[in-house]
Amino acid sequence: MSFRKRGVVLPQSGSTSSSSTGSTSLPTTTKEQPKGTRPSPLTGTPTTSTGTSSLDCLFGGHSGLVLGSSLLIEEQGTTDFGGAVLRYYAAEGVVQGHTVHVFGAGEAWGRELPGLSEEKPKKEVAKVDGIGREREERMKIAWRYEKLGEFGTSGREKTTTTSTFCHSFDLSKRLILPSPSNIHFTPLSTQLDLSFKPTDPSVSPFANFLTHLKTQLSSSPPTTIHRIIIPSLLSPALYPSHASYPEHILQFLHSLRALLRAYPTTASALITFPLSLFPRSTGLTRWIELLSDSVIELAPFPSSSLQVKAVPGQEEPAQGMLKIHCLMGGVGGGDDLSFVLGRRKGLVIRPYSLPPVDGDQEGQNPGGLEVEGGGKATKVDIEF
Amino acid sequence: MASKVPPLLEPYLALPPEASLILLTSVLGASTNWLVLRFLHSALASPGDEDTKVVFVSFMRDLAFWKEGAKRLGLDLEKLAAKKRFKFMDGLSGLFVPEMQKAVVGKAGEKVLSIPALEHLSGEILEAVRNLKGDGGRILLVVDQLDLLLAAGGENIGAVGLGDMLMGFREEVYSTVTTLSADFPLVSAQQTPLEKDHAAFLLSVAHQADFTMGLRLLDTGTARDVSGVVRITVGDQFIEDNRDIQRRIEERELLYFVGGDGGVRVFERGQ
Repeated sequence: MSFRKRGVVLPQSGSTSSSSTGSTSLPTTTKEQPKGTRPSPLTGTPTTSTGTSSLDCLFGGHSGLVLGSSLLIEEQGTTDFGGAVLRYYAAEGVVQGHTVHVFGAGEAWGRELPGLSEEKPKKEVAKVDGIGREREERMKIAWRYEKLGEFGTSGREKTTTTSTFCHSFDLSKRLILPSPSNIHFTPLSTQLDLSFKPTDPSVSPFANFLTHLKTQLSSSPPTTIHRIIIPSLLSPALYPSHASYPEHILQFLHSLRALLRAYPTTASALITFPLSLFPRSTGLTRWIELLSDSVIELAPFPSSSLQVKAVPGQEEPAQGMLKIHCLMGGVGGGDDLSFVLGRRKGLVIRPYSLPPVDGDQEGQNPGGLEVEGGGKATKVDIEF
Repeated sequence: MASKVPPLLEPYLALPPEASLILLTSVLGASTNWLVLRFLHSALASPGDEDTKVVFVSFMRDLAFWKEGAKRLGLDLEKLAAKKRFKFMDGLSGLFVPEMQKAVVGKAGEKVLSIPALEHLSGEILEAVRNLKGDGGRILLVVDQLDLLLAAGGENIGAVGLGDMLMGFREEVYSTVTTLSADFPLVSAQQTPLEKDHAAFLLSVAHQADFTMGLRLLDTGTARDVSGVVRITVGDQFIEDNRDIQRRIEERELLYFVGGDGGVRVFERGQ
């Protein structure tokens, strides 16, 4: 594994590989990364893609979701942008041949994964070609623009035959699942019987899933990558009310954390969490955040303020703001971030910028709601 | 490379006086990990001092994480464990995970806590303390995120019981360092039992503490070269009855920056 190379055992691994070069093909197999993972340029720990390339870029130096860690996506309001991110994450896992574990949602959820996008952005095919070439490219770009490029180039496609880290998907298509499906759906422990008798609140609804995860993780070979997906954690549509007892939910998240740490090279988790039902001002939500490794929040703009149609020639207006609460190796503050969910590009995270003000078209300005009075939000207003 | 122990923090990180309690508080995004590592470093790596031993209980992170962090400071926890100067109690890996095979035997110097009941935990930790103390020496007990027990432990674990347990530890060890979360939502509203218990426990520990190092994010937003603020507050008891610590401990507020390589720089505002 890559992290061993950088660690203290460096001389050891060097000596073993040199001694066994003639005998077996062991050194080559140990060097090989499992499909869909790559070492973080920052620390060398293996990372995997979330299926959304601009979200991968958010993890700063790691440029991917670090295996053995979890990402909590909180969302305000009634939209389901977080659910879209989860589906990309699942679809990426299916395409890469990872094992995907979904908790709470039924198999219908798995039928709605976005399909692989077929058309390739012509400009970028030559530009980004695996990690090596990408770096080469980066050297040429001035620092100032490099970051812009990271956020700006969306749906970037790495068209190497050997290792594709992040595929691009098309929301209008449906992913055809391979026939022995590698997605496992685990219902809540309390969902199993369809009788209407009241559930026992002392039984944790998460118990089944933990047992399932533990058996799956411990029985699979170390080359199998696992993706753990928990849509709309604690949402009353899926969960009984006693799931939000601290002893159930926090013990579950603590165990999940323990499992992720126990398998630091094969497992990662993505969780979405409805913030309107469990506001960030409550202690429970804060503990849920503290037990996750990375926390981001999606705050969509109210639908009334959204533009119906994008103006040709301009980039699509932002659909909401993205706040970073805590991030492993994340970008250090600075710009406000916004997101757009597009059919082909998926979720694109980019620095928030206001479109040029045309004078007469005040309604066009999506940043208008940031300013009291609803008047024109000029650059001066925002930057004070 | 920033120095291993920031010079400005040296007086606070030095081995505290006997029977003292030091509280480190964190918030989301401003964790105490780097500070805990530096406490370990100053207790275990000071030259000529072979007497100080550390029992380290962590409820949120496993040994691998701490080993890696300590390695960056030039501290080999495994070697120290073999020398019987360090003992790790893992409160993450086995505490709430459904157990299939009971025999999760930790490696040398590591013990996996598996039963989330106060009597059991306290027994295990005290046993470790006594084992390590067996052949003399001063024990520094470091308890990372004890408040997790309070939040996730259910009805059987309350603020009073946890406080008693901590007091029980303090009777046995030379000095205690503990970290707790002090996020605003956990202490301000105090509506749910979770919030009430947390606030009660945090406040009672803060009142007992000889000094508190509170970490928080910058009040003015994020910056690229500042990770957060550390505020050091001296506890009320020591203002009255121990002049010695008064001389050493000065109340102040400093800024800190944790680099990508784990190096930490601590500086005053405007520096």
